This record gives sequence, C-alpha cells and structure tokens, in this order.
Amino acid sequence: MSGGILVIVESVAEGISRASLEAIAYAQGLGGPVKVILPGAANQTQADALAALAVDEVLLADYSYPEGAGAGGYDGDGYVAVLAEAVRRLAPDQVFLAHSYGARDFAPRLAARLDLTLVSDCIGQEGEGDAVAFLRQMFLGRAQAKVKVAGEGPRLVSLQAGVARLEDLRRGSTPAPVSRTSLAMPAAPRVAAQAPLREGERSVDLSQARIIVAVGRGIKTQENIALAKKLADLLGAELAASRAVCDEGWLPIERQVGSSGQTVAPALYIALGISGAVQHLVGMKTSETIVAINKDASAPIFKVADYGIVGDLFQVVPALIAALEAA
Amino acid sequence: MERERLDAEAVIVGGGPAGLACALRLARLVAEHNAQGKTPGIDPEGIFVLEKAAELGMHSLSGAVMDPRALAELEPDYIAEGAPLESPVTEDHLYYLGATSSHRLPFMPAALRNEGNHIISLGRLVQWLGGRAEAAGVNVFPGTAAVDLLVEDGRVCGVITDDKGLDKTGEPQANFEPGYELRAKVTVCAEGARGSLSGQLIKHFHLDSDSNPQAYALGLKEVWEIPAGRVKAGTVWHSFGHPLSGTLQGGGWMYALSETRLSLGLVVGLHYADPAFQPHTALQRYKRHPLLAGLLEGGSLLRYGAKTLAKGGYWALPRLSAPGALLVGDAAGFLDAMRLKGVHMAIKSGMLAAEAAYAALCAADEAGTDQALAGYRQSFEASWMKTDLWRGRNYHQAFQHGTARGLAASLVQGFRGRQGNRPAHAYLRPGTAAPAAFGPDGKLTQDRLTSVYHSGTGHREDQPVHLKVVNADQCQQCHGEFGSPCQHFCPAGVYEWEAADGGPGRLRINAANCLHCKTCDIMDPYQNIAWTPPEGGGGPQYEGM
Amino acid sequence: MKIAVCIKQVPSTSAPLQLDAGTRWLKEGETTFETNAADNHALEAALAIRDQLGGEVVVLTLGPERATEALREALAKGADRAIHLVSDQAPGLDPATVASLLASALAGEPWDLILCGLQSDDLGHGQTGAFLAEKLSLPQASIAAALEVTAEGQARVKRELEGGWYQWLELATPCLVTIQSGINKPRYAGMKGMLAAKKKPIVKQPVTEYPAGLTRQSIDELYYPHKAKQTRMLEGSPEAVATQLVAALNLRARP
Repeated sequence: MSGGILVIVESVAEGISRASLEAIAYAQGLGGPVKVILPGAANQTQADALAALAVDEVLLADYSYPEGAGAGGYDGDGYVAVLAEAVRRLAPDQVFLAHSYGARDFAPRLAARLDLTLVSDCIGQEGEGDAVAFLRQMFLGRAQAKVKVAGEGPRLVSLQAGVARLEDLRRGSTPAPVSRTSLAMPAAPRVAAQAPLREGERSVDLSQARIIVAVGRGIKTQENIALAKKLADLLGAELAASRAVCDEGWLPIERQVGSSGQTVAPALYIALGISGAVQHLVGMKTSETIVAINKDASAPIFKVADYGIVGDLFQVVPALIAALEAA
Repeated sequence: MERERLDAEAVIVGGGPAGLACALRLARLVAEHNAQGKTPGIDPEGIFVLEKAAELGMHSLSGAVMDPRALAELEPDYIAEGAPLESPVTEDHLYYLGATSSHRLPFMPAALRNEGNHIISLGRLVQWLGGRAEAAGVNVFPGTAAVDLLVEDGRVCGVITDDKGLDKTGEPQANFEPGYELRAKVTVCAEGARGSLSGQLIKHFHLDSDSNPQAYALGLKEVWEIPAGRVKAGTVWHSFGHPLSGTLQGGGWMYALSETRLSLGLVVGLHYADPAFQPHTALQRYKRHPLLAGLLEGGSLLRYGAKTLAKGGYWALPRLSAPGALLVGDAAGFLDAMRLKGVHMAIKSGMLAAEAAYAALCAADEAGTDQALAGYRQSFEASWMKTDLWRGRNYHQAFQHGTARGLAASLVQGFRGRQGNRPAHAYLRPGTAAPAAFGPDGKLTQDRLTSVYHSGTGHREDQPVHLKVVNADQCQQCHGEFGSPCQHFCPAGVYEWEAADGGPGRLRINAANCLHCKTCDIMDPYQNIAWTPPEGGGGPQYEGM
Repeated sequence: MKIAVCIKQVPSTSAPLQLDAGTRWLKEGETTFETNAADNHALEAALAIRDQLGGEVVVLTLGPERATEALREALAKGADRAIHLVSDQAPGLDPATVASLLASALAGEPWDLILCGLQSDDLGHGQTGAFLAEKLSLPQASIAAALEVTAEGQARVKRELEGGWYQWLELATPCLVTIQSGINKPRYAGMKGMLAAKKKPIVKQPVTEYPAGLTRQSIDELYYPHKAKQTRMLEGSPEAVATQLVAALNLRARP
C-alpha cells in the first residue's frame, strides 16, 4: 500500500500522549486513510486505545538490542530505525506527529535518514495536493509563514500542541487491525537512559501549558496572587504574570510572559488585571482564546481578547471560582 | 573589591561622533609618531573607546542634518570612502504651525540654511567611523560602561568599568565579572549630554564654576516608512509653533532620508514651567498636524527614540580639561543651538582633543601633560567652533522663557553682554493638575509603551535599578508640590506614581524601559534622581537613527 | 577535549520585527541582530567543559557577512577560534541544507563534542542539531538541561522531558548535544576577552555550492499574525459574568 497518512504517536505512562491524539484527530480531519505507528514497547492499554480509534491500521513497532540491552526506555536510535523502516515500506503521502520534546529528538534524524524534509511545529495547513502550504509561527510567534514543500517523497510534518481538538478525535465502529513488529538493532545501544525523574521544584515551561492564568499589576499585592493561584489550580492552569508583577518579585521571572519573558500560545489565556502593553501582548496574543478581566474599559488587552469583562477582579475571580466549583 | 587592571595610553568614554573622531585622529597621530621613530614610543594599541551600547551606534540619536565641514577635516576622502550620507539636502523649508494651519516662511534665516549639508543617520555614521577607527588600531569595547572616575592625587588616571552579573539586590551571580580598573594617561569624556562620568569630572574639579548652568533640550525622534511619491529625497522641514506654546520652546523637524523613509521629531527646551507637560504626547500631537499627518498616512513607524542635547552655548561651556582629562562633544556642551547642529562640533572637538591628548602623551612629566591638555581650550578658542558659538552666545538665554518672547530677544542677543540662565529644573512651577487626556489611534499616534517598544530598548532583567532615587521621602513632597513630573517628562514611561488606597502613594520605576536620555537627571525639581549607567549592553537599539 | 559549537545570529527579540513582504524575510537594514539565546548557553557549556578538561572550543556559524559579529563575541567570551560559512542565502535555507553545510565544514576534524542550541529564535525549526547528528552519524542527546563530561570521554546529559520530567542519559564521546536555554549563566565578554579576540582567527569560507535538492522548504508568505477578533464583552454582576464565561468556554474544574 502507498499513499495516505501515517501518524507517529508517542506513549506516556498512562497511554497515548494527548498531543499525539490531537495529531491523529488532525489527520482524520484531512480525510483519506490514516495509519498510526507507535514506536517502542507498547502495552495492551496503549494498543487498545489506538485500536479503538477510526484508523485503518495500528502498527506497534518495537525494537530490541542484542542481549536485551537498553530495553524499555526511550531510545532515539531505536525510534529512528523502526520509523525509517515503516515509512519506507508504507510510502505514505504525509507523515504527521506531535511537535513534542521527543519528536525534537528523533524526527529531524528520521528526516535526515530518509533524505526527507521535516516541516516542524506547524499550526495548520492551506490548500491541497502540491499546492499545500503549511502554517508555521516564526520569530517566537511574532510572525507567521506559509511554507511550501518541494521534491519527492512523503512530507514529514510535526504539529504544535492544540492544532486539533481532542473532542474531534473519531472512534471506530470496530477495532482497527493491530500488528506488532520488532526490529533487531544491529549493535549495542549508543545511549544509556536512566528512569525519568521529577524534580522537587517543578520547572516552568509556560509554552507547554494548555491554560494560563496571568496576573498583572491589577493584582495589587503579593498576597492577592493566592487568589489567581486558586483559579489556576482549579483549571489545571499554569500561573503567569506581566513584567510589573515579576519586577516586584511577586512571581519568579520564569513566569513572565512578553517580549522580555516567554512567548506563549495556550488554548486559553485568562488575563487578570493586565492592561496589555505591547510588550506583553507580543508574548500572548496568538493564544487561541483570550479572556480579559480589567477595571479599565480602555485597556489595550481588550483589543486582543475574545471575552472581556470590565470589572473588579477581586469580585469577578471569586465568582468565577464559585461558578467552577458549582459546575 | 578585587579588580583586574588594564593600562591604556588614552581611554575615551563614549563611542559617539566626538569620541570616535578623537580616537581616530589620535590613532593617526600616534601612527605617524611611531613611523617617524619619535620618542617616547606610544603604544599604538593603547587607544581604548568604551561604549555602553551593545554595538556602536545603537545609542546614537540625532535628526540629523550634518554640516560636513568637520568630517571633511577628519577624513578628507569621506565621500570616496563611502561615508553613509543618506541624502544631500535638496529642499529647505521653515514653517510656522498653527493648530491645523501651516505657513511657510518666505525667507530662510542664514543660520538655518542647509545648502551643502547632508541628511544622515547618526548611528550609521558612527558605525562607519568606528570601522575606520578600528582599522587604524583603536580598540573599541562595546557593551562596556565607565561608571567611576579614577582620581588620585588630584589627577584623573582612568576609569572603573561596570560590574557585570549582579542581581537585583546587587549580589554577584554565577557569571559575575567585576569591572576593570582601567588606567590611562589621558581620559576623554565623550558621553554626550549629561554623561554621568562627565558629571563626576565637572563636579570634582569644579569645571563649571565660571559657567552658566548647562541648558538642555529633549529631542524625540521617529523614523517612518511611507509610500513613495509624497516627498522628494533630501527635503528638510523645520517648524515652530504647534504643538509648543507658552513657556515651551522648541520646534519640529521632518527630513526625507529617501522618498520613502522619513526622520521626524520634536525638540523641546527643558526649561518649561508646566510640570504636567508630556514631551511624548507633544510629539504625538505634532504628528497629528495636517502637514505631517498627510505625509505619514498609510505609512508605518519603524523606530522611536529620545535623547537630550546640551544647548547652553558658549557661556555654559565648562573648563574643558582637568589634570589627566578632557571633555568633548555634547559632554562639554559643544552644540550650535542657533543652527540646530552638533555633529560637526562633536567631531571637531574630538579632533582638537586628540591633538591635545597626543601632545600630552609626548610630554615628559605630569606638568607637561597637564599643560598639553590645557592647550585644548586654546585650540578651541582659535577654531571656527569658537566663532560659531560666539555668534549665538546668548541665543539660548533669549529663548529661556519660550519661543514667543525669544524671537524678539534673539534678534538682539548678539549685541548683548553675557546673559545668564537658571538650571533646567528651576523653571518648573508648582502645580499638580493632571495633563490633558490624549488618545492615540495606534496608527499615526502611539501610547508611550508602544513607542518604547519601537526603541528596541532592553536591559537584562535581574540587575540593580540604575535610576537612583536619592531620597524616597522627597518623592512624597514632590508629588504634593509638583505632581511627580517625572511621570510626565520621561519619554519612556519609566516613572509611574502609584496611588495607594488611604496611604501615601509611591514612585514605581520601570528601569528596564529607560532610553538613556537623562531627562530625569536634568529635570527632577529636587534633583533627586541620579541616572547611572546600567550594565553595559543594555539600552535602546537605535538601528538607523 | 575538542569541542565545536554551532551558533546563529538572529534578530533581536526586544525590538519590533520589520517584515519585508517582498523578500519574505526582514528588512535587514532596520534590524539589530544578536546571538541566538540557546546558542549562548551552548557556548557557555562548551567553555566550562574546556576550562575543566582542557582542549579547544571552535565556534561555527552559517550566515551573511554580518554574522561575523556573533563569532567575534564568542571569541571574546573565550572560544579559541571560529569558522564562518559565509552565505547571503543563509536565512532562506531549510534545516536540512543548513545541517548538510555544517556537516561538511565539521567533517575534516576529529571532534569529541558538538554542541548546538536547541532551536533558533527566528525560524524556530529546532532541527539543525539533530539533523547534524544523523549526518555525522553521531549519537545525540537533546534538550540538555545539564551536561557533564569526564576526562575519559563519557558524557552525562540531563534531558528535559515534558511536564517537569527529566531523564539522565549516558553516552560516549564523540557525540552531539543540543542545549536548552537556561542551562547555565553565560559569561560576559570582558575587556581582556575582547582584546584577546582580536588576535584569534576567524576562517571565512564562502559557500559557493549548495547540496542539490536539499532546500525543499521555502517561505511562500511571511506576515504578522492577525486575528480579526470580535471581542464579546460580558456584562452584569460578578456572578452573572462568571456564569456566562464558564458556559461560553465550557470551563470545568479539574478533578
């Protein structure tokens, strides 16, 4: 078989990564046959989760090293080997995957191995067939580009988290066929991996957050940040801030959004008491949905907001917390 | 603190037109000296230029229409060598602006004629001069600020450069690098108007004891890109009137660098009375005038910036040398306010200082060194700079109470004896009225923070605040008496008064927005704000300004 | 230890972008450039290893003439020498082409360690390092949040995973590591460093031939993200607006 779409998915402890499922939803949305491949060891839960989706085939592509070395953990060399084999064999038109930290490790190497081009961190596409253009953010989200791809062979495309909605992921009426393969790696592993660990002090990567609750000067005091934190915890959101708040030392600088902080584009950005200086807006205005709560109706933040509430955040936020707890 | 020591023949603080002209001229003189085998030998690699900007030219801002006279003396082949001159002046207009009307004056005062002059980007000229200087053996140190003058036994023997890698509280971080103790036989202050090191020099040696207080103006500039076909390259407009009235003296400009690229801005004398005056808003109002708005419609703002200039003229010049040190360019006050020009004087003063410095490096002892440096004043007095400055020696004083009163007074200023003036901040009159509201449209006009964004300014976030409030209690008093004018005069919105419910408010300092213009240092009514250099490499990015 | 660091000069992040629709790039004359943030951290990692184990650090860039400034700065911070692949076309090349050109330039010398920033702050592909590892057949570790190398040539890398997780990897040199921003505090180029840099060599190699068929990605259009927003203003009591918002966005408290 050739043509169609191949989606590379990654496993997480509980199953399949959310971003990978979004990539499948994205591929389903394009139409045409979709196969998915999970490199590395797969358990039954993961296999079942994939088979339940409306896809044409599920490939579980494991690899093994001589004498059982390196079994279990992520191994870039193993991933590249099994994926290169599968892409060669299946000859899909397009290969999609999530632009995850893992993909940043193996996807460019896969492209290099196969002499393909990889369009990374895409947020969508326009046009069809040879005229297709992929949309990418550039300059830390300050510009967007339409990228065209020339040449033969499958197009390799990694997708930014949030390009498709998980709600759009279609399930199949019958389980998809599942095949298991295992590739014998010719030599000993080149990289030895230890078990993942989580640091006591959790590091902040705002760019990965799905929801961000951000506070500005309107929060007034450090003590009031607890209120925003409560809302963030309730929503499973990261807490972020404008420069004024970080300058005061109320929140650490790694939570600062804007031209001198991080650039973010979460699915939902809730701005509390942020007036919206351009230096802040450049860091968040490409967020999918923006909610602004501010006392000043003329604050520029409302120009980029999808939902605006002119009011006292010290009244609105407690009401919001109550409404969420009741919902 | 343990500091590494470096030794130089001459250290020049500030890589602008004055500093680089000085370095280049000195390098040429030293090369000739060594080629002729003269003694004592002078280290050809011993000429150091310190520049606080990350790159040369990034903190240079001027209109600018340059009289090429000094550049031709410094680099006679400047045209063949590709000096970046954007356009020769092709048209020269002077307007009086009403709120919406404009009246072109039928004559052009001699001082304002620009025939033979060039529209330039000062930043680009500075980069070109820097390249020439480096090729001549000068060592340029970008991202390096001089923070203290090294004075021993009554003579200047170099500078201390900035400590790098301090956190907000002044504690060293992992990458801390202490500033250097940089020793030199001659130290040249070329920092531009109101330089902090120049200030130390003048104060320590009382160099201004016989001078008028230095007078200043604040220039605010924007560069725009506009559709072609509206203005001829090389067109120069100057205007007075709108938006400045009453005690506000100054005027606007528009220079067409090309058919599609404009420099425009406003110069405001920092000797006004209204503490609620906002120079940034005045610039926005200026752009709203039909004369400008018509040109700019559909165009886009490329850059914004602001800088003060010294315009006190001849009587405000301090003594120009101290044992071991010289003052050049705007740091000395070399600007022809009558002609609105300073770049040529910066270059010329740098050259004269280089000649004095060279003589000092040749001297056998300290007495000879100081005598050679003192010769700089004599060579200035004998130069065309003196002639030009003397012509306008009372010009600023005539205008110190505003344009209207100044026009008449300026006609006779050349016939009057020495006129005095007050320090800049002393013209402010108490008052706490809020400024008139202004709503920018985001296209032709911008709010202050959007403008600041277009300056490209940035400072490493985690460093000590470089704008030092000497006495915080005084801010309360100032707020009651003057309504905290710092929140109004700062063209970057660095200062904000935060009212508190019930209690006293407080001054908030957004130091990272600073454009290094020094207006706060000049205009604070209690002289309660000291501008000091932030960590080298921070500040605006005046690309093409 | 012989270490190569690949660096790139990118537009400054603190000034507005001036896009040029015609060239589908920036107005170069209106743009200030600086060394890519992650590459600065990669350079610091390399210098620290060299300071500890000895050897040399070579910085390599592919870029127009202006990119020499980034090399000069790296030399001033302590790199030993520099190679500049000079190409006016560099900003328009795709990661595969860039990696191939870098690979050719690096191929002649026996490197122990090659470091790259994780991704550039301009094009943001995040591919060059990994692509280069494959081209040079080197084992790689990516998104390093810590890096240790022993005198025996063993590298330990703390690889950043998503959601606050990390993983230690061990690999033998020669290898390639991509460096995450924030891994260290890059040193400053002091005055002595700047003086020393003047005497260090920068080898300029004009790029005259591009690997055929490799630049497959081209920017068709470059524009400011514009989102024609209709702001829906919610009105009423705090409770009323809270209820409206929860309903409109289908917000749920996380269990």
